[in-house]
Amino acid sequence: MPQVALDSVRVLELTNEIAGPYCAKMLADFGAEVIRVDPPAPVAQPYPDINDAERKARQLHLNTNRKSVTLDLELERGRDVLLDLALRCDVIVESMRPGMAEILGIGYETLSRSRPDIVMTSVTPFGQDGPYNQWSYTELTLFAMTGAMHREGLPNRYPLKYGGEIAQYFAGTTAAAVTMGTLAGVTLTGIGDWIDISILEAMAGHPHQIGRRAPFAYSGENDLRIEPRTSAAGGREPYAVGTFRCKDGYVSFLPLGPRMWPNIAQMIGQPELREDPRFITTQDRSDNRLELERIFQEWLEQHTRMEVFDAAHKAGIPGGPVLEALEAADNEHFKERDYFQSIEHPDHGMHSYTGLPFRLSDAPISSPSSAPLLGQHSREVLTGLLDISDDELALLVKGGVTSCG
Amino acid sequence: MVNGSGTQTGPLSGIRALELAEIWAGPFCGSLLADMGAEVIKVEAIQRIARGSIRPSPGTSGYPDSEPGERPWNRHANFNVLSRSKLGITLDLTTSDGADTFKELVNVSDVVFTNYAFGVMDKFGLGYEELRKVKPDIIALFTPGYGNTGPYRTFRSMGMVIDAITGHTALRGYPDMEISRNSLVHHPDAVAGATAVFSICLAIHNRARTGKGQFIDLSQAEAFMPHLGEVYLEHSLVGTPRSRRGNRHPGMAPHGTYPCVGDDEWVAVSVKSDEQWRDMCQAMEMPQLAHNPNFETLPARLQNQDELDLIISRWTRQLSKYQVANRLQEHGIAAGPVLDCGGDTYDDPHLQDRGYFQAVDHPDAGVHLLSGPIWRMHNRSEVRHEPAPGLGQHNEDVLGDLIGLSHSRMAELEATRVIGTIPLDGADMGGVRRARERGLSSSDS
Repeated sequence: MPQVALDSVRVLELTNEIAGPYCAKMLADFGAEVIRVDPPAPVAQPYPDINDAERKARQLHLNTNRKSVTLDLELERGRDVLLDLALRCDVIVESMRPGMAEILGIGYETLSRSRPDIVMTSVTPFGQDGPYNQWSYTELTLFAMTGAMHREGLPNRYPLKYGGEIAQYFAGTTAAAVTMGTLAGVTLTGIGDWIDISILEAMAGHPHQIGRRAPFAYSGENDLRIEPRTSAAGGREPYAVGTFRCKDGYVSFLPLGPRMWPNIAQMIGQPELREDPRFITTQDRSDNRLELERIFQEWLEQHTRMEVFDAAHKAGIPGGPVLEALEAADNEHFKERDYFQSIEHPDHGMHSYTGLPFRLSDAPISSPSSAPLLGQHSREVLTGLLDISDDELALLVKGGVTSCG
Repeated sequence: MVNGSGTQTGPLSGIRALELAEIWAGPFCGSLLADMGAEVIKVEAIQRIARGSIRPSPGTSGYPDSEPGERPWNRHANFNVLSRSKLGITLDLTTSDGADTFKELVNVSDVVFTNYAFGVMDKFGLGYEELRKVKPDIIALFTPGYGNTGPYRTFRSMGMVIDAITGHTALRGYPDMEISRNSLVHHPDAVAGATAVFSICLAIHNRARTGKGQFIDLSQAEAFMPHLGEVYLEHSLVGTPRSRRGNRHPGMAPHGTYPCVGDDEWVAVSVKSDEQWRDMCQAMEMPQLAHNPNFETLPARLQNQDELDLIISRWTRQLSKYQVANRLQEHGIAAGPVLDCGGDTYDDPHLQDRGYFQAVDHPDAGVHLLSGPIWRMHNRSEVRHEPAPGLGQHNEDVLGDLIGLSHSRMAELEATRVIGTIPLDGADMGGVRRARERGLSSSDS
C-alpha cells in the first residue's frame, strides 16, 4: 500500500488571515493531518452582507483538508487541552501576535523541552521582534513596505498594489518551504526549530525586490515607476513588451531581447520588415518604436487571444492570453492536466478548486476534502488523539471549552 | 567539502543539489536551498551565460559603480544577488564529455532541479530516466512554465505570461485605465521557486521514509494559481469575475495610498471597522469628522470614498510617510510607508533592527550591503550569505576534488571548451550556437 506523501506528519494550526493558513494548506493538501483550532464562537461580522462572497471563497479555499477543533483559549482548561494537543504534533503553524503562544502555554521553549524535534513556524506580518512587531496590517499596508508597490503603476499616478493578496500567499508559500526544509532536516538530525517568518521580509526578499535593490547597492540606481513600453530592461524590444489589446481581449509578451526581432517579424507574418532600413539594428527599432508598435498593434487587432498565443508559440516568443479567473479553469491545457478539482461542501455545494501546485511521481495523494464545519472534528480529535472520555467531553462542551460541529 | 556554501548548521546541511537554471524560478529555488544549508552547485556553460552582456559599455548601471570591469559576468548585480551562497561550475552539456561529467556529479548528489524549457534536459540526454539510471533515488524537479505534460508543455513562457494566463494581470492596474497600461509583473516565477523548494524538501523527507527518489513536475502556472484560488472560487460562487480594484477594497474604507510631504512619497492606510474610523479621526485631530454621517458607517464610507480620500490626502500631505504611519499605528490602525527599493528599505528602522541587510564581500564585485535571509531560526546561527560564484570558479573544487577528475582530464576538458571561466562570443545572445545560426554578433546588444 503506497504511502501518502505527508501522512506521517501531524500539524497544529493556530492561524488567521492568509499567510499562516496557506502554509498549513500546503502541508494539508499533501496529506499531513492538520488540526486547525478556532474559538467555539466565531467573531461576528458587523456588516455580514458586505464582501460576503470573498470571505466565503477565502475560507473555502484556504481550509481544505483540515480537521476543525474548537477550544476557548481564554479558559484554563482550553489551554491545557491545547498543550496536550501541541505535544502530540510534529509541527505547529501559528500566526498570532508575537508573544501570544507563550501566553497560551505553547511557546517554543515549553514545547521543545519535551519535544526537541518539534518544528514551530510563526508567520507574522513583521516577525517576532523589531519595532513594528505589534503593528497592524492589511495586504495593502504591508505590500507598501516591501518595495514592490513603489515600482508598480504609472509615474504620474499613485503607486499600486498587485491584484489579490499576493504578499500574504507568497509568504505562506515561503513559510511552507522552510517548514518542510526543517522537517526534512529533522529526519537527518533529529533537531527541530522555531522558524520566524515575516511577511514583509518574505516579499522584500522576493527576486523582484532584491533584483531592484541590487543595482542600487552596486551603482546607486533607483528603479522608479515608468510608462509601459519604454523600458530598455528585460525585453529590450520595448514595442513588443507588455500587455496589448487584441481582437477579443488582451495578450502579454516578453520577447527575450534583440535576438527575437526575427521571431517577432515572423509572428506577425511580415518577415520583410527585417530588411526595412528603419528597423535593422536595435537602435533603429528603438528610434522608430512608435511606428513598429503601430504595425504590431494592427496585426494584433486582427487576431484573437488564442490565435496570438498560437502564433507566438510557433515563432518561439514567450507570449500568452490574459484570462479572467475561471477562464483558466476552462482552458484546454489545465483541463488536459486535470488541474482543477471539484469539491463538494455541505453548505456551499460543488465548486471547482485550484489543484496541487506540483505532481510527485512516487507519492500518492488522497482525494481532497472540503473545508470542515467549525468544530466538526472536536470529538474525533479530543477523544481519539487525547484519550478524553465521552463523559469528560460532555463536560468540556457544557463548560464552553469546546464545541462539536 | 568546499568552502562558501552557506551555513553548515542549516537543516539541509549534507544535502547536495545541482542547479541548471536561469532567470528567477530556478535560481530563487537554489538560493533558498542554499540559505537552508544545502550545498548548491550551479552548472553553467561558457557557451551560454545568463550574467548580462559580455561587453557592456563603460558606465552601464547595474555594475559596481557602473563599471563593468574586465570580467563583467562576475560583476552583474542581478546575477550576483540571485546566486548567493552557491558554488559555480561550467559544463557544456551539449557534448557527451559534458553530459557524462554531469552524470558523475549526479551520482554524488541528492537533487537536480531545472527551469529549462521542456525537452532541453532530454536533448542533453539527462532526462529523469537517465538521471535515475545513474542514481536510483535522485530527486529531480523540472519546471517549464506550463509543466511537463499537456498541450502547452513546449510553449515558451516568462513570468509575465504566466501572470496573464492565470488571471492575475486582469486583476491588476488602475481601475479607470486599460490593462494594456499595466506594468510587467513576473511574480509567478518567484512563487514557482519557493514552491519548488517546498516540493524538493517534501521529497527529501519522503526519501528518508521510503528510500525512494522522485520526479517532480512543477508547472509555474499551477504553482501560482492557488494564490488566486479564492478569486476563482468567488467567481464560481457569484457567477461574475472580480473587477479590478486598484488600491481599494470592497470591505474596508478608507483603503488606499495617500501623498505625503516630498516628491513621490506615499503612505498606505487601511481602516477595518467603524471603531477604527473614529480612532482615525482622533489621530487626524478631526474629532467632528467622526460624526459626519457621510463617513460614519462602512456602507457610507464605501459610498463616499472619493470625498473621503480627498479629506485624508489633505491631512497626509502635511506629514512625512513615517509620521502618518507611526501616528495611525499608535491608534492600532493599519498603515505603512510606501518604501522604494533603493534607500528607503535600507533606511527602514524595523528592517535595520532585524538585521535584514548583510554586507557581502564578492571577490570581483567588492563589498555591498545586500538583502538578507527571509527567515530566522531559533536554534541555528543566522544565515550568512556567501558571495555568488564567478563563472566556473569552483571547477577545480567540484570536478577535481569532489568527483576526482585528474589534472590532465581537466586540462583536456578545458582545451575542448567543455569547461572554462571566460564566456565565448555569443554566449550572452542566447547561446553561442544560436547566435551563429542567426548570424548575430554580440555587438547587436
